[in-house]
Amino acid sequence: MKVLELFNVHKVYNTTHVEVHAVNDVCLEFEEGEFAAIVGPSGSGKTTLLNMIGGLDMPTEGRILVNSTDLSTLKSSAIIDFRMRNIGFVFQSYNLIPVLTAKENIEFIMNLQKWPRKKRDKRTMELLKAVGLEDRVDSRPAQLSGGQQQRVAVARALASKPRFVLADEPTANLDTKSTENLLDIMEKLNREENITFIFSTHDARVVKKARRVITLEDGKVVSDEIRE
Amino acid sequence: MKNYKMAWRNLWRNKRRTVITASSVFFAVFFALVMRSLQLGTYDSMYKNIIESYSGYIQVQDEDFWENKIVDNVFKNSEELREKITADRNVEDVIPRFESFALASSGSRSKGVMVMGIDPEKEKLLSDVEDKLVKYRLTDEAISAIKSEEIPAYLEKNMDLFHGNSYSSDGRLQIELGIKENDEEYLMPLFEKYASVKNGYFSMGDNAALVGDRLARYLGLERGDTIILVGQAYHGHTAAGKYVIKGIVKIPNPDIENKIVYLPVDVCQTLYYADGMLTSMVVHLMDDDDDAINNTLKRLDSNIESPYRILGWKEMNETLVQQLDADNKSGIIMIGILYLVIAFGVFGTVLMMTAERRREFGVLIAIGMQKTKMAGVMVYEMLYIGLLGILAGVAIALPSIIYGYHHPIHFPSKFAKIWEEYGFEPVMAFQWIDKYFLSQSLVVAIIVLVAVIYPVVKIRNLKEVNAIKA
Ligand SMILES: Nc1ncnc2c1ncn2[C@@H]1O[C@H](COP(=O)(O)OP(=O)(O)OP(=O)(O)O)[C@@H](O)[C@H]1O
Ligand SMILES: [Mg+2]
Repeated sequence: MKVLELFNVHKVYNTTHVEVHAVNDVCLEFEEGEFAAIVGPSGSGKTTLLNMIGGLDMPTEGRILVNSTDLSTLKSSAIIDFRMRNIGFVFQSYNLIPVLTAKENIEFIMNLQKWPRKKRDKRTMELLKAVGLEDRVDSRPAQLSGGQQQRVAVARALASKPRFVLADEPTANLDTKSTENLLDIMEKLNREENITFIFSTHDARVVKKARRVITLEDGKVVSDEIRE
Repeated sequence: MKNYKMAWRNLWRNKRRTVITASSVFFAVFFALVMRSLQLGTYDSMYKNIIESYSGYIQVQDEDFWENKIVDNVFKNSEELREKITADRNVEDVIPRFESFALASSGSRSKGVMVMGIDPEKEKLLSDVEDKLVKYRLTDEAISAIKSEEIPAYLEKNMDLFHGNSYSSDGRLQIELGIKENDEEYLMPLFEKYASVKNGYFSMGDNAALVGDRLARYLGLERGDTIILVGQAYHGHTAAGKYVIKGIVKIPNPDIENKIVYLPVDVCQTLYYADGMLTSMVVHLMDDDDDAINNTLKRLDSNIESPYRILGWKEMNETLVQQLDADNKSGIIMIGILYLVIAFGVFGTVLMMTAERRREFGVLIAIGMQKTKMAGVMVYEMLYIGLLGILAGVAIALPSIIYGYHHPIHFPSKFAKIWEEYGFEPVMAFQWIDKYFLSQSLVVAIIVLVAVIYPVVKIRNLKEVNAIKA
C-alpha cells in the first residue's frame, strides 16, 4: 500500500538576488513499512523535501499525496491535525518540551488525541522499554544525554502509531555509539510496528542501515536504490 | 497534559524572571491600593472635618443667602418649615444657625470674623463645639514649669517646637508631642497641673462667646476677656455687642479656627436685629453615606420650594471639592505612570517568553499541537503571573490598609507644623476597602491580558518551517 506519493514536486525560493531551485521535479513513491534514507550534499534539498512531505511547507509546483490526501488543499489547522494523526517528526535537536518528563513528552501526542489513560500508559511504557529508557521515566530533557533525548523523540514520534515518521538528520549531533543505538531502535520499531521511516542523513553509518537510499543533488533525485 | 498544568510548569522554566515579573505586578497593585486608600481616606477626613465643624451635609437657606451672605437674606425660624424638613425619612433633626460677619476687636487689634449663632444643645449633634474646647495650652510658663520636672529629652524639644499650641483632647496632645505610651501615665498629670486651661460652655441667652484658638491668639484674648463685635445688621441697622469669652475652641479646620466666633443663636439674633430669624437650618441625617445624602437632597429639593434653597455639602464646600478633585487627578496620573512602567515590564517578559520559545513552538506545531492550544497555554502563563502578583498585592495591602484605617498616620512633629500652617490637618487617613480595590486590581489584570495579545498574535502568524530553523 502506498503511503506517500510525490508528483513532479518543485520548490523554488525567491530570494532578493537569486532564484533557488531547492527541489527540482522530484517524483517518488513510498510503500508502507519502508526504511528509507535521503542523502546528498549540504544544500541539496533534503530538509526542504522532508518539510514538504510533512506539510510544514508547500511545494511551488507539483503534488504530494499523503495517504491519498493532498495537504495543500487543507487549511492550516487541518494540516496540523493531519500531522498529529498521521505523521511523526524527529528533528536534529531540541525536539522535546523542556518542562515535561520523558514520559510526558512521549504521551504528548496521545494526549492531543485524547487517548484514555490506561491505553496511554501502556503504550508509553512499551515505547520507553523499546528505546531502553524505562528507568528514566521521570527525567526531564535537561537530565538526559543527547542520544537519550533523541530516543525519547523517536518514541514520541511513534507514540500514536502514525503512518510514517520523518526524521531530519536525527543523528547529526550524536556519537558513533549513540547513532548506532538509535538506528537499531528505529529499525526495530520499523519492523515491529510496520511504520514507514524516512530520514535524511550525511552519515555513511546511517546510510548503511537503510533499506532504500535516495540521493539528491541540487534538488534532483540522482539515484534511488533499494537494497535488501 | 492540560493547558493550565503545562502553563504552570512553563512558569518555572525561568524562576527568577517569573518572580520578578510577578513582584512588579505585586508592587504595582500594593502601592496603587495603599496610595488610593491613603488619598481617598485623607480626602474623606478633610471633608468630614469641614462638614462636621461647619457646613453639615445639607443646609436649608434663604434662596439668596448663599450668593449674597448678608443679614437681609434670612428666613423665619418657622415650625412649619422645621416640620417639612424633619418629615423626610432620613432626617433626624434640624440644627438652627445664624451666620454672619463682623469686625471683632479687643484692645488695639481687630479682625474680620465669622459670627456663628448656634443652639448650644442642638449643635452637639453636628459640630459639638463643647467637645472642641481647649483643654491644654503650651504657654511659655507652662513649658518652663513642665521642664523643671524630670522629663524625657524628646518632649523638651517637641514642646519648644509647638509652644503656644493648644489641644482639645489628650490624644491630640500626645500625638503631636510624640508622647510615648509608656510615658503617658507619668507625663499627663504634669500637663494637667501646668498646662490645663479652664474653659466653659454657654447656653441660650448667655451673653457669652466661644472663640477659635487661632483667632483668640491673634486678638490676644483669653477666657474671661471681652470681645467686641461690630457689623451690618438686619434692614440697615448697625450690629454691635460686647461678649464675655467663655471658652476657646480648637477646630480641625485651621482656616475656620482663624475666624470663628460662636454665640448662642438667640443672642446672635439680637445682635443682628433679627429676632426669630435664621440664615440656615442644618439638616442632621440618620444615614450619611453618599447615596443616602444625594437621595435626601433630591427629596428635600422637590418638597421645599421658594424662597428656600437646599444646599448639599459639595456645593457649600466648592473650593475644597475642587482642590481635592485636582489633587485626586494628579494622584490618578501618578498611578497611571506607575502602571505604564509595570506594563512595559510585563510586556518585556512576554516578549522574551515568546522569542525564546520560537523553536519550541515550531516543533510543537510540527508534531501536531494546534496554535490555539499553544496560545491558550501562554494566556494561562500570563494569567498566573498576573494573578500571583495581584493576589499577593491585595493580600498584603489589605491588612496594611485595615491597620492604617484604625491608626491614621500623624505627621512627624516638624512636618505637622508646616502642614498646619498651610491650613491642613496633619493627618493622613486611610479609606476603608471600597470600590477602588476592585478597580485597581482590574486595571492591572487588564494590563496583563493586553500584554498577552502579543504572543497570541505571534503564535497565530508563526510559520512552522521558519520557526524550526531558528
Ligand atoms: N527559506 C529559504 N529561503 C531561501 N532559500 C532557502 C530557504 N531554505 C532553504 N533554502 C535553500 O534551498 C536549498 C536546499 O536547502 P535544504 O535546507 O533543503 O538543504 P539540505 O539538503 O537540508 O542541506 P543540509 O544537509 O545542509 O541540511 C539550499 O540552497 C538553501 O540555501
Ligand atoms: Mg537539512
